[in-house]
Amino acid sequence: MIARVRQSFLAGWEPYSRRPFPTLLRVFIGRVFHGGGDSGASEMDVALGVVLILLAMPGVLVSLLLFEKYGSLIRWMRGDGVFDPFTAAIPDEYFFIVLSMVVTGAAAVWRWDALFLDRRDYSNIVPLPISLRRIFLGNLCAILFLAGALTLDVNAASLVLFPVVVVGSQDSLSLLIRFGVGHAATVILASVFSFFAVFGVIGLLMAILPYSLFRRISLYVRFLIALFFLALLATNFAVTSFLAQLTRISKPAVTMLPPVWFLGIGQTLWGNGHNPFFAAMTRSALLALGISLAVAVLSYALSFRRSFIRLPETAEVGPLPRSQFHLLPSNLFDRIILRDAPQRACFHFITRTLLRSEAHLQIASAFVAMGLVVSAQSVASAFHANAADMLRSPSEDILAIPFILSFCIVVGIRLAFEVPSDLRANWVFALWIDPNTLQTRPIARKVLLTFSLAPLVPICFVLSAIFWGFGVAFLHTAIFAACTFAFVELLLLRFRKIPFTCSYPPFQSHSALLFVAYLFGFMIFTVYLPEFELWALADPWRVSLFVPLVAVILLSVQQYRKQMLDMDKHLIFEEISASGF
Amino acid sequence: MLEARGLTKYYGSVLAVQSIDFSLEPGQVLGYLGPNGSGKSTTVKMLIGLLEPSSGQVLFHGKNIQSDLVAYRKHLGYVPEEANLYPYLTGYEYLELVGTLRGMPQQRMKAKIDSFLELFSLFPHRHVALSSYSKGMRQRILLISALMDNPDVLILDEPLSGLDVTSALIFKNLIQSLSAKGKTIFYCSHVLEVVEKVCSRLLILRKGQVIASGTTEEVRQRIGQTSLENIFLYLVEDRDVAQIANDIVDVVVSP
Repeated sequence: MIARVRQSFLAGWEPYSRRPFPTLLRVFIGRVFHGGGDSGASEMDVALGVVLILLAMPGVLVSLLLFEKYGSLIRWMRGDGVFDPFTAAIPDEYFFIVLSMVVTGAAAVWRWDALFLDRRDYSNIVPLPISLRRIFLGNLCAILFLAGALTLDVNAASLVLFPVVVVGSQDSLSLLIRFGVGHAATVILASVFSFFAVFGVIGLLMAILPYSLFRRISLYVRFLIALFFLALLATNFAVTSFLAQLTRISKPAVTMLPPVWFLGIGQTLWGNGHNPFFAAMTRSALLALGISLAVAVLSYALSFRRSFIRLPETAEVGPLPRSQFHLLPSNLFDRIILRDAPQRACFHFITRTLLRSEAHLQIASAFVAMGLVVSAQSVASAFHANAADMLRSPSEDILAIPFILSFCIVVGIRLAFEVPSDLRANWVFALWIDPNTLQTRPIARKVLLTFSLAPLVPICFVLSAIFWGFGVAFLHTAIFAACTFAFVELLLLRFRKIPFTCSYPPFQSHSALLFVAYLFGFMIFTVYLPEFELWALADPWRVSLFVPLVAVILLSVQQYRKQMLDMDKHLIFEEISASGF
Repeated sequence: MLEARGLTKYYGSVLAVQSIDFSLEPGQVLGYLGPNGSGKSTTVKMLIGLLEPSSGQVLFHGKNIQSDLVAYRKHLGYVPEEANLYPYLTGYEYLELVGTLRGMPQQRMKAKIDSFLELFSLFPHRHVALSSYSKGMRQRILLISALMDNPDVLILDEPLSGLDVTSALIFKNLIQSLSAKGKTIFYCSHVLEVVEKVCSRLLILRKGQVIASGTTEEVRQRIGQTSLENIFLYLVEDRDVAQIANDIVDVVVSP
């Protein structure tokens, strides 16, 4: 029976799928996952299956972790009384809403350039005998399909697992269905809202701004959106504690947060619609969803008309020239910091790539955003601990801020170094660089320190001096700068390439270990070092303990480099896998 | 003097080029011709030292280039077949990168870049990202990057690709002027009309092997054909091109 239905479906579908519109649809869906955009970011293409698995993973992991929390044995051991799943699940439901919004929104931000048709589509499709209306509808359908697929993929695991986890032990199918339907509606609508909100922002910007200006500010807007999503994730636990007191707070600030609106939908479907707070939140959620959909469709239509149809004209106008502003006179910087011509050439190439190549800037920005969010959490934590004296005397939370920021900047840029940029263009380096004389470590070190210490040291010193006096400011800044320097040396231990000019390193068996090492590094750098610093600042003599600490690290690095084989220090343009031999 | 002696290259077990021999004196322009896949690019990569020959050697002033590639490349200007540039750099920044990597003194480099940009009509676009340059503009940037350090040897792989009529005309005259100034030029191209006009010597390649070499006149007399186009077709093409064209038209008009 099923086979017959399947056969008849395929018999009807196959001829249809070969017609122009479904073909167009397939092309538009495919372009979202395989490049798209004028940025030439093809090196960031990832297989569709891998993307879908990665997007679904957070939901799977979180659902599995919750099995323990809602297990009846654990609840009995904790001495929990009557179990009300609809109240008990609020914090986790809120987390799933945040998760679905963040993952779907982040996917939309990631493929931002590929959502709208670009010059390549124009030159390939418009000359064909296909009407503009069909192209418009084709891409709109592709976007709707993408929104649906992302929503289902991101929430697939929690749709099944979360209701089972929470009410699976209640022996009531109706309860399970009620809980499941409420949860499904909540997270799906939250995902849809998140996708179309991001989409609406792109569309509006495209519709309002000239194309060249849109391209220029696009990355900053994406950075802000990513920052917002990260903040939502980071504040998840704080918000859930507020949610516990909702009924006692007349106008809580948390009502400004979109995930709280969608929590109202779940609560209403779970039978808490009579609660005025949740009823108000449900209304806000539905209104926001409606507005986001309307804005997205309207702005898509406008931007299609303004940007896509006029693409040939924008080619005539040309982009804005790059700004020639330099913070420091570049000659002075070159003379003092960059000693020889290859260093100068590589340094400027690296900084320009970092600041202009979208893929690299995205990686670095993501880490900076993470640093800002964790720093904000650190400030909040200091505020909770001692609101009155927060800034009068140094606390480990406040001391940790420059460490957090520099760690994130340095690791983000170091990671971006590994991602190649237009590999076919690296012939200029292969041709004119002497691999026997060029030392790439000093160049990479200078880039990392320029982006981390150069902005953070003055800010750290000035703010510390204002709040704690010059003595503490000097010591704090010196400790932070020395630790960052040592950390950079550690990160560049085996570095031997010009950033961005080498093929991807193959996945190695120790990659997972490296990830764990970075996590430990983060803990040491942003928790234990500030704790140690706080202890040391109590008596300035203790600060001298940092000297042997940093010296040992630097000497160890030097010693390790000394015993490395010359061939392991030689400049490379291709990472060779040991197993590929 | 640039010399190739028995240049042979295997990719694994696949033979790309075999026993290429030529010598190129200052002031000479060698036209290197061959159909797609004949081994032209492989030869070019060996000549610039990006690829090491499986056997044979490239000599510059009698010295194997592999013994001191860096010194050899100081004398080398190279225009690759495809304009692979960093799209987010501006034209000026790209030339600055190349000039600095070549170790040109800053002042001389900046003066040269400005002059070249002006002469190649790119000065107004110097601060615009290469991603928005047309193919011809990118090709001009590559030409400047090859010429900016006054090289003794120029290796040009399809240098006219994408150039407009005026730029192409300027370029043809430029090749002749550069050869008159004693530059050694290795010119790899499909555009037979240009090769015929600018090259003093020819080397025709087929399936990795040299099938004809000498001055244009010598080759012409040996083959007994009047135009370079006919010589090329006679040597490298087994098929009747007119017949192929007719067959294509048949397919076009068929229902």
